[in-house]
Amino acid sequence: MTAQPQTPSDTRHPPVAGVENARRRRGRHVRLSMLLAVVGPGLLAGLSDDDPAGITTYSVLGARHGYQLLWVLLVSTIALILFQDLGARIGVVTGQGIAGLVRQRYGARAATVAIVALVVANVGTTAAEFAGIAAGAELFGVSRYLAVPAAALLVSALVLQGGFRGVQRVLLALSAVFIAYIAAGILSHPDWGAAARGLVVPTMPFTRDTVIIATATLGTTLAPWGLAFIQSYAVDKRLTTADLPYLRVDVITGAVLTGVIGLFVVVACAATLHQQGATVTDAAQAAQALEPLAGRLARDLFAAGLIGAALLAASILPLSTSYAVADLTGRPAALDDAVRDAPLFYATFAAVTVVGAGLVLVPGVPLISVLVLTQVLNAILLLPLLAFMYGIARDHGLMGRYRATRAAAGPYLVAIAAITLCIAALGVMEVAR
Amino acid sequence: MDGLISVAGLTGVVLRNADGAEVGRIADVVARWGVGSYPAVTGLVVRVGARQAFVHAEQVAELAADGARLDSARLDLREFVRRPGEVLLRHDVIDHQLVDVDGARVVRASDLYVARVDDRYRLVGVDVGMRAFLRRIGPARLRRSVVPERVIDWGDVAPFSLPGAPVRLRTPHERLRELQPGELADLLEDLGRSERHELLTALAPDTAADVLEEMDQDDLTEMLRDAAPSLAADLLGRMEPDEAVDALRSLADDDRDAILTAMPTETADHLTGLLAYPKREAGGIMTTHLVMVHAADTVAGVRAVLRERRAHSEDVDAVVVVDEDGRLLDDVPLFDLLVADGGVLVGSLVGPPWPATVTVDADLDRVVDKLIANRGSSLLVVDGSGHPLGRILADDVLDVLAATRGRRWPWQQR
Repeated sequence: MTAQPQTPSDTRHPPVAGVENARRRRGRHVRLSMLLAVVGPGLLAGLSDDDPAGITTYSVLGARHGYQLLWVLLVSTIALILFQDLGARIGVVTGQGIAGLVRQRYGARAATVAIVALVVANVGTTAAEFAGIAAGAELFGVSRYLAVPAAALLVSALVLQGGFRGVQRVLLALSAVFIAYIAAGILSHPDWGAAARGLVVPTMPFTRDTVIIATATLGTTLAPWGLAFIQSYAVDKRLTTADLPYLRVDVITGAVLTGVIGLFVVVACAATLHQQGATVTDAAQAAQALEPLAGRLARDLFAAGLIGAALLAASILPLSTSYAVADLTGRPAALDDAVRDAPLFYATFAAVTVVGAGLVLVPGVPLISVLVLTQVLNAILLLPLLAFMYGIARDHGLMGRYRATRAAAGPYLVAIAAITLCIAALGVMEVAR
Repeated sequence: MDGLISVAGLTGVVLRNADGAEVGRIADVVARWGVGSYPAVTGLVVRVGARQAFVHAEQVAELAADGARLDSARLDLREFVRRPGEVLLRHDVIDHQLVDVDGARVVRASDLYVARVDDRYRLVGVDVGMRAFLRRIGPARLRRSVVPERVIDWGDVAPFSLPGAPVRLRTPHERLRELQPGELADLLEDLGRSERHELLTALAPDTAADVLEEMDQDDLTEMLRDAAPSLAADLLGRMEPDEAVDALRSLADDDRDAILTAMPTETADHLTGLLAYPKREAGGIMTTHLVMVHAADTVAGVRAVLRERRAHSEDVDAVVVVDEDGRLLDDVPLFDLLVADGGVLVGSLVGPPWPATVTVDADLDRVVDKLIANRGSSLLVVDGSGHPLGRILADDVLDVLAATRGRRWPWQQR
């Protein structure tokens, strides 16, 4: 190759020395306001991982294994920080969504297979969110045939009518319901010493049951759709490389909050259900089971959190899917576009919402099977997605001077290896059975 | 369609020598960007066993989806080394973003077509259709049964530079210049970051400034923050002052300072002065491009001044007549100057109706009321002692009002 590589950064003019100094001097004063402008992608993508599927997994983790596996949640949170940060950075630096980049770097076939899998998994996950809304509403005595259509209309109206800023603010307000879980956790009077030990001392009985729950915890925390979403969102929010430090704060805040909320769910279930030897299979059951042990308030808070989390995720999922499909096919994709300018974008949005809600409402649909298959698909999809992201992050042509160095790439590889190990162990155990 | 050869379809196709013996399989098609609308194919990258070799285009007798043929039995196999200006059509162009200049939109290439033109293979078109995309996902057989669908003539395409390749949009596509600033603004909004930067720097600075004026506020803010302060300063300096001030307002303090520092002091001082006025008051809306003349000037003299200010024609709908102390006497519409005799003194055109004025601190409602009452195309902004400071054109007011349009929720109305 005869020419020097041309990268986005090479085309930048050298900054004037005085300007650099001015930047440094003013740095501290502007930080808070800058952060507020950037906040959103990380917080939303992180918090929406505490959706009904997530809460269910955390409930089971706590109810079956007490405080012992809390460290799995810690590891998941660290992986979440790593890859959400990576996704956001790729979005900001390239200005492109994950689907378009995978198509550009890995070809049409790889991109299409990945995105088709993502769409199927997202429809299933959307169904899981609406199922969470249905279960939560029924705890309050509201029929699912009322609650689910109402929720579908509400989230669609928010996303489609509210425009970009509207959605973001409403969603962030909505995520306040997660405090409910923290309250529920405290009301259950947990053994904090045991919880702290479980969080930092990694022990695990190596059984099929624990491997499943550990993999599920990793998979539900680090969801493929969340990774796709954060990248598109960072692009759509028109963030620049100057925002990267703030974006990192945003991502870490979102991921840590996600982890903390998960921790309180686990703790609440460990302190009550595990102590009593009760078993649960879904989050609504966990809420119900909390009542005799921690009081009606704890139950109601748990159910409210479930509905709020489901609404948040149900708003993001169709949107994330639409971004990916439009991006893959090179069609216009922005919430600010009119329906006639971006038909594919809005058609995908409608399809995901309608099918997702329909799966919950139509009698005779084997919903449990759909939800289990979705979890499996999400776990399988996660690996190639992380590998793609890793490849893009290391690509000098795409990332320029923001390319991940070999040293910085190490943690990604460790995380990918850990997830591979979990999925492989699970696969082996399934076959052995 | 006959004669169009799909580049995606060529991948994996067997290359035979003149004797019909298999040499290898086509991995990619090499073309050279540069002169002319239709880049010439300079060769093929061929997979021979585990090696990748380069076959010069002159050695290729025939390219077709069902097999390619060399013109001799002997093959000169060299390692492929990318020369300046050369691109790999499959690896570097297919699935990447391009600008369709004719349709003024950003597209992603689903497939490319080469054809034999004057005894050479040339890149002639790009397919952006869904079907072309889908057939590449299927088996190779499907990939080779090519039905061109949504093909754009390569002459209407502006490609971007590639990693490692020195060709940039520096000699921008001829037709890019024919696009309206609004269309260019839409293109910039749809492109990835490096492509966007490349397109912007490929435009003439004055055009680029016009394009920025047309951009959505959020996108404009992003462009300015992403550009080097010196480039942002240059572009802002070329924008109309009121537009430049609007753009500066949307930036964080340190970004704004960086850009102002990179400007010539005079421009920076002027813009800083304008920045001091609140956004939704007369001072924040007005443009400071005023053509000021005295009553003793002749109409012909004023016309000469107007000719010099041609660049700001959009901001001038009347000429301000001031007295010796620079205080406002009248605002003479261009129409009056056009129909008046060249030798006549401007003073003779001064008279009722007197111009509508507001002070710099007049709020938006007052400006709108005055404009409606006056039914003119602009208002003058004056200071407390009657010195003209700027002009508010009806379209500036439209911009301010339009900014609140389409924002359905109260919190969206900044």
